[in-house]
Amino acid sequence: MNSLKRRLSLGLTFTLSLLILLQWALITLIIERVTETQLMERLESESEGLLASTEFLPDGSFELNALRLSSLYQRPFSGHYYVVCSEQSCKQSRSLWDESLHIELLPSGHKLQSLMDGPRNERLFTLHRGYYKQGHSLTIMVGQNISELDEDILHFQMLYSLVSAIGLAVLLVIQWLIVGKALQPLQRIQKQLSRLRRGETAKIDAQGPEEIQPMVEELNRLLNTMTRKTQRSRAALGNLAHALKTRLTLLNQTAESSELKSLPETQAALLQVSRNMEQTIERELKRARLVGSPMPGQKVDMEQEIAELSRTLQLLYRDKSPIIDWDVETGLLFFGDREDLLEMLGNLLENACKWCRKRVNIAVYQDSDCCFVVEDDGQGCNENELSQLSRRGFRADESVPGSGLGLAIVSDIVESYQGEMLFSRSEMGGLKVMVRLPLRL
Amino acid sequence: MRILLVEDDAQMGPTLQNALSQAGYAVDLSVDGIDAEALGDIEPYDLIVLDLGLPKRSGMEVLQNWRSRDNHVPVVILTARGSWEEKVQGFKAGADDYVAKPFQTEELLARISAVLKRSSGVSGGPLQVAGLRLDEDAQSVQLANGKSFTLTGTEFRLLRYFMLHPGQVISKSRLTEHVYEYDSDRDSNVIEVYVNRLRQKVGTDVIQTRRGQGYIFGSA
Repeated sequence: MNSLKRRLSLGLTFTLSLLILLQWALITLIIERVTETQLMERLESESEGLLASTEFLPDGSFELNALRLSSLYQRPFSGHYYVVCSEQSCKQSRSLWDESLHIELLPSGHKLQSLMDGPRNERLFTLHRGYYKQGHSLTIMVGQNISELDEDILHFQMLYSLVSAIGLAVLLVIQWLIVGKALQPLQRIQKQLSRLRRGETAKIDAQGPEEIQPMVEELNRLLNTMTRKTQRSRAALGNLAHALKTRLTLLNQTAESSELKSLPETQAALLQVSRNMEQTIERELKRARLVGSPMPGQKVDMEQEIAELSRTLQLLYRDKSPIIDWDVETGLLFFGDREDLLEMLGNLLENACKWCRKRVNIAVYQDSDCCFVVEDDGQGCNENELSQLSRRGFRADESVPGSGLGLAIVSDIVESYQGEMLFSRSEMGGLKVMVRLPLRL
Repeated sequence: MRILLVEDDAQMGPTLQNALSQAGYAVDLSVDGIDAEALGDIEPYDLIVLDLGLPKRSGMEVLQNWRSRDNHVPVVILTARGSWEEKVQGFKAGADDYVAKPFQTEELLARISAVLKRSSGVSGGPLQVAGLRLDEDAQSVQLANGKSFTLTGTEFRLLRYFMLHPGQVISKSRLTEHVYEYDSDRDSNVIEVYVNRLRQKVGTDVIQTRRGQGYIFGSA
């Protein structure tokens, strides 16, 4: 029940149905009432007419002046009937033909309406009235066949129900469309959000309705701030690294100067300090500029990046010219920071190139995680070294230059993505490094 | 040998210039990107040492501009950032080597001399056989229909060997011998896998299988 669309639709459907049902019931009731009242009025005036045309004779019998009566009472089984009874005798309309209707005498002034079975299974709506005329009491019953009327009403009701049902259906469709249309901007935003998550876009472009727009703008502003902050801090760290490393190069040059040639111990000490500082700077700055949980708006074409990295490594290791083969699942994208990926794979591949005899393999595939497997055909490590590599909180041996710094950086990156790094022996002979990074989404 | 040194640091530039001069090079020093780009285009340098973090125009841009104007002077990049992204970018832009700061002067000198030696060697044009064009620098292949693919290490070696021996029946063991120089476990199944992958890129018809004999590349 958390979907706005479903909630709106259900609510509207319920109220619309209730409304249509109520008005259907009301109209049906009113129609019945009106028909009955009209019928009643007609029968009453007929009854009055009959009373007026009744003449009592001196012997107590009575006659009806047929001329004043409607011809409907003359035609057999016309559906309109009367019966007039005094204490002595009864007269009935010719329309009743050979049938007879039995009625009770009513005291004067009494009135009774009832449904009776008429001739030929007709249903009669009847009005009985008691009168007092010329010293005699008289009961007049006027009846009308309502079978046809009932049928008409039924017809009308059926038609009306049909129209109501169609009307309801049309209204429901219209309200469904209106709800859909009203929520369309939300759907657009939803789509944009998932594109954002997949890294296909850097901000939400969709215009939201007034109620949502401030949230969208705030989100965009946050995204923008975050991106700019990351870029700024990366630039600042880059500048810092640049400045520090340039100074270190100067320090190296000073150490190599001809004045110090005569003091080899001092020279070596200076170079050692410079090397240590370089490693510290390298590791800490790289750790500081890690993005970790991926920034929105970034996706990386893995095969492309690996092809370029391999080419770079082949140029860097031109003398050895290692054969780097890769097997990347087609269409695999990395939803993370491109620099982080390059840094991780670059260090892993460089390590492999450094130790391999000739061949380096990299495989990238996706199961529950995004997996990277880098292997080489070098000497590899023995069990003891493997377990040392796998130890948690892996730290480079900073006393030996160039050893393990790359892997330490990789380990930082893997950690920041909450992944894991496993070391084992490769079938090719050398070290096999497997990195598993959890998939986002 | 004339070298252009592009380094904006007021202390390091002259020191390096001095060191390079002592190593027997004629060295010009440039301290900003725009000046360096112009110099690199005008003067016939044998090699340029280019710092990436330059004022006015970044080293990367300068290098790209040179390459886009077909200026193929060997370039050694100096950089302090040392990120892999920058390394990849540098080589893609056409750098010949890469030295990360802080470095020792000896290291830089060794790199410079290696690049100079390499650049004087002969570099043939692209290999073109059977409608395929092999870019040996980029290790990529361009098909007759203009599509191009990057090749993995083994794929590249295989295709280069095929293209150097078109129309010949080449056995799997011969391929293995020429693709891997050292004593590897010469498993011919591995070669089959790579030949199949290669076919997926360059087309199935280009490399035909001769049952029991090996493969034949191009028209027989």
